[in-house]
Amino acid sequence: MSKMKTRFSFVLATLLSLTLVLSACGGSKESAGGGSGTDGDKPVELIWYTIGTPQKDVDKVMTEVSKYTKEKINATIKMKMIDWGDYSQKMQVNVASGEPMDIIFTSSGGFDYVQNARKGAFYKLDDLLDKYGQDLKKTIDPAFLSGSKVDAHNYGIPANKELPQQEVWRFNKNLLDKYKLDTSNIRSLDSLEPLLKTIKEKETGVTAFAMDKNYVPYVPYDYIIQNLPMAVKLDTTDYKIVNILETPEMKEALTTMHKYYKAGYVSPEAATTGSTNDLMTSGNWFLDRAQTQPLADNQWSASYGYPVVSTPASDAIITNTSVQGSIMAISANSEHPEKAMEFLNLLNTDQKLRNMVDSGLEGTHYKKVDDKHIENLPESKNYDMPSYSLGNNMLLYLNPNDPDNKWDEFKKFNSAGTNSPILSFNFDGTKVSSELAAVQNVKEQFWAALMTGTLDPETNLPKAIEKFNQAGLDKVIAEAQKQLDAWRAGGGK
Amino acid sequence: MVQFFRNLAKNKVMLFMVLPGAIWFFFFSYLPLVGTIVAFKQYRFSREGFWASIAKSEWVGWDNFKFLFSTDDAYVITRNTLLYNIAFILLGLILSVAMAILLSELVNKRLAKIYQTGMFLPYFLSWVIVGYFAFSFLSLDRGMLNQILGWFGADPVQWYSESKYWPYILVIVNLWKAIGYSSVVYLASILGIDKSLYEAAMIDGASKWQQIRRITIPMLSPIIIIMTLLAVGRIFYADFGLFYQVPRDSGTLYSVTNVIDTYVYRGLKTTGEIGMSTAAGLYQSIVGFVLVIVSNFVVRKMDKDSALF
Repeated sequence: MSKMKTRFSFVLATLLSLTLVLSACGGSKESAGGGSGTDGDKPVELIWYTIGTPQKDVDKVMTEVSKYTKEKINATIKMKMIDWGDYSQKMQVNVASGEPMDIIFTSSGGFDYVQNARKGAFYKLDDLLDKYGQDLKKTIDPAFLSGSKVDAHNYGIPANKELPQQEVWRFNKNLLDKYKLDTSNIRSLDSLEPLLKTIKEKETGVTAFAMDKNYVPYVPYDYIIQNLPMAVKLDTTDYKIVNILETPEMKEALTTMHKYYKAGYVSPEAATTGSTNDLMTSGNWFLDRAQTQPLADNQWSASYGYPVVSTPASDAIITNTSVQGSIMAISANSEHPEKAMEFLNLLNTDQKLRNMVDSGLEGTHYKKVDDKHIENLPESKNYDMPSYSLGNNMLLYLNPNDPDNKWDEFKKFNSAGTNSPILSFNFDGTKVSSELAAVQNVKEQFWAALMTGTLDPETNLPKAIEKFNQAGLDKVIAEAQKQLDAWRAGGGK
Repeated sequence: MVQFFRNLAKNKVMLFMVLPGAIWFFFFSYLPLVGTIVAFKQYRFSREGFWASIAKSEWVGWDNFKFLFSTDDAYVITRNTLLYNIAFILLGLILSVAMAILLSELVNKRLAKIYQTGMFLPYFLSWVIVGYFAFSFLSLDRGMLNQILGWFGADPVQWYSESKYWPYILVIVNLWKAIGYSSVVYLASILGIDKSLYEAAMIDGASKWQQIRRITIPMLSPIIIIMTLLAVGRIFYADFGLFYQVPRDSGTLYSVTNVIDTYVYRGLKTTGEIGMSTAAGLYQSIVGFVLVIVSNFVVRKMDKDSALF
């Protein structure tokens, strides 16, 4: 008896000291060895930074998610949410200071994907994708993976969702019906005029053409960098980068905008308005421009509480911005890149996991209506997550009023899109970074006021062009042209 | 050495009181000085953490400073930063000393407390909120100022696109927010002035005005000089919130609202080159440092006792 006891305690002591030694060495060994050692029994904790207003029940849901992932891939999940407005800046600091993290949400809008991939923030996924991402590769549209390559390498997994971007004119249907206005011939900016005129004359207190300071008239060009005036025409044959402000299309659009502005169709404060949310809530608007996706009209109508309809304002184009709209990357300093890749693979292919992350716990946050549809329960206010940023959208359960074929509609929409000529060309601004900083300042000075029609393009467009050139825009364009030519010579990769 | 420890032992109570502040300065002001090295690097991430990232980033010399001086904007932002700060320092000094004297002369002490609190309150507000206060005055269709203009039959003014008004608006808003705080500092030192001086002056028949000029202001001058010297050291830093939030980032106003800090923010917010923003910060602090040394030198020449060091 006593002998057994001693032996037992001896074993116990050896085990204890072994684990101690292992865990003590573990950290340094793993980081030095490039992140191996995932075959142990101890589950790995993955830290996942994502965008959105922090939700009360995140930890509660992640505990359940972890139970599931532990079973499947022996990993647990710790999610950290950072609010919309803070995400880019806080992640900049977190990554620069080497904060431990494994999975990072990144996009062309929040915590810029291409720039941070080039700065070395993300782990190169090429090999991991082949090894652990086979299911994922089969599930998501291949255009996403090829379009999100930076310098011919994959640094992130794009969320499978709408692929092209298409601009539409949105109308407040109540007003359309009231004045029996016809939208069937609407497409160009000019074609809106008679409608705007009617609304302006008959409805006081309604903003005829709602927009915030980020509004830019649509012209058939694809921008090299979002909202900097360098672009390539969509039907280009010579791949020449031009200053968008010098194009006849933009000049015409700005002249029309200024006409609308002077006629009072546009709010006089549009150039400093941060958002049109209050107009949308009150319904005191007639039309605006937005990006669409299949069934968007239903979604808008449901969220505003009154009917909204839309008609196309552009073709559906697949651009870098649309492909890079939502990406999950693995952090370069991740200690468990393999596990992280396994998790991303599972998240993008496993319906149960994907929906748990999206809608929370069945019976607490939502209940199932049938095998495809779910309904939110009151508790869902404590776990209200943005769907677009959390992986494959096409696995998601449908809302009660979504048609059964919602995701088929998406697939149809995706296959109808045409590629931008510069799809997957990513400009590297390192060599001209001081010019870019100066150009950015000129842009901030003129952009909103010109685009909303506040300034008269007749006098201010030449002024803006001159200031851009002074700041070194021509040098930036020359550098971009050089890279674009090299990219084409290399087969567009 | 022995002398040093003897001094240490002698002043241990005093030194102990300094300790928390010294620790704070060590961690938040001296330790980060090492980071200024980033200003001369093209910062790139390394998976081994911050120090490895610094070590492995490429040296780029003065390249990170170039963007500050490359366009005409360099002149505009330097001019705006300096002139606004000079206006803030001078007007702030005159108004807050005047307010402090007025408050100290009020006989009804309860009223004085109410005024003081009322003036102090804006100091605690964030610039975002102050920005909306200003907006409630300046909004085109619902702003108070345009309503008042309407009563007199005048046309409404598009405040957020008319740059000529903004030098005044910014100065007024800043003074409104800042004066309460500095006048309390002056008020505190006025209350510390020996009352017998005033009694003696009254016996000699000095008027209130003479008392203020001959007693209060001279007695205040050391604190005025210290406060001003400290402000001069920050003359190359602009209050970001004031110049960004209050004009609602309106592009047409940049000629009078763009200052160094907003320029740096706008130029780098998308590229996030921390090397360049560090360079801008280093440039600002070096100019501030030089200005403090020079102005302290000038003060010393005029009056040795009033100088900071």
